[in-house]
Amino acid sequence: MRIYNFLSKKVGELTIKYSNLPESYIKRSYEQVYWKNPKGYPQYPAAQIARKNYRFTTNRPWTMQFGRQNERTTQRKKVFLEPIGEWMYFKGDRVEILVGRDKGKQGIVSQVIQERNWVIVEGLNTHLRVVGKDKSFPGITVQSEAPLLVTTGVKLVDPETLKATDVEWRYTEEGEKVRVSTNSGRIIPIPKAAQETVDYKSRELYMENPDKDTTAAVANKITFAPKLQTFEMDIMESMGIKEDRTPATTYWY
Amino acid sequence: MSKISSLINFIAKRNISLTTPCEGKRNFRKFVLANKRGSRIHKQQQMSPNRELEVDKRGVRDVGYYLNGRFVQVPEMIPELIVPDLKDCDLNPYVSYKAEDVIQSEFTAQQLFDAVYSKKIVTDFKQGKLDAEGLPLEPSDEEKLQPDEAIKRAKRTGSDIF
Repeated sequence: MRIYNFLSKKVGELTIKYSNLPESYIKRSYEQVYWKNPKGYPQYPAAQIARKNYRFTTNRPWTMQFGRQNERTTQRKKVFLEPIGEWMYFKGDRVEILVGRDKGKQGIVSQVIQERNWVIVEGLNTHLRVVGKDKSFPGITVQSEAPLLVTTGVKLVDPETLKATDVEWRYTEEGEKVRVSTNSGRIIPIPKAAQETVDYKSRELYMENPDKDTTAAVANKITFAPKLQTFEMDIMESMGIKEDRTPATTYWY
Repeated sequence: MSKISSLINFIAKRNISLTTPCEGKRNFRKFVLANKRGSRIHKQQQMSPNRELEVDKRGVRDVGYYLNGRFVQVPEMIPELIVPDLKDCDLNPYVSYKAEDVIQSEFTAQQLFDAVYSKKIVTDFKQGKLDAEGLPLEPSDEEKLQPDEAIKRAKRTGSDIF
């Protein structure tokens, strides 16, 4: 069952973390369910018929662009992915490119797309793209980065030797999980940029909205006081509701 | 659509019937025949006193009961929503990302006992207010409380989960 859960999970963990959306919402937003058995009737199993294969691209699964690329009528060829044990690459990592025009160059990871084992490296592995071309306007040429496979396309850079290296997950003596370069044995720390989500750069830098957000100080305050009462009794007491009728005793046979 | 309906048959369902055959009605139990669905004959039968299926109330609870063909409304059965006054409430719809993640263990019966009784027991012990069996000579309200009285108090809320 665990293996099945792992394999059936389509959207990557880092993608969910970056979006700051509930996992169930993301699933609901990209799924195409054609038929669902009615709920609450014992004769129906909880079965559903839905589209099975989606093409994940650089468009995030909860966006409209993703929906347009996966129209109900279109079926695209299956993309085979190499299974990856533990993910190594995070936003803000320095990596060396192993393939293509920019082979041997180093850059910073600007985006991670786990669904396709992709990373996008800032300003490298680019092509030119003409935007806004019209009959009367020749368009603007922009540089756009192509994604790179983490299995063959990139390698992390050792912070000591500044050369590409293989990396392992290991534990420190304090029990902390760290990435270690196999060449020099140095720890490669996970960059601060990896904490970034659509809502903030890092948790400490988040700007609280006084109208909508419960501030951290209020949220962390403990207001629970143990009492010899049930929840309902506590509510009745605080709302000043008095009731002295007791229901008749009931028996189970 | 034909393709979809044939797909649903692939979902494995295995049944063994140990009762007598259901006079050929077996398959038709599968469909949800809520109040307005079905043929004219079926609906006429549903309107007669010996109806075949229960009334589908769509999850809505009754606010009374039928007595000799007449509906008797019970005020206690009408749900009442009590909304607290949120004038001076500090809480807002969302929680700031700055707030730390709180991972809390379950509040156990022993912790409740410690919070309610333990302090009194310790002071009683030091002042020698416990008898030979360890019971308090001057019991507090919580210590006087007996199990049957506690259950009665919980049931007085009208909640049916106890």
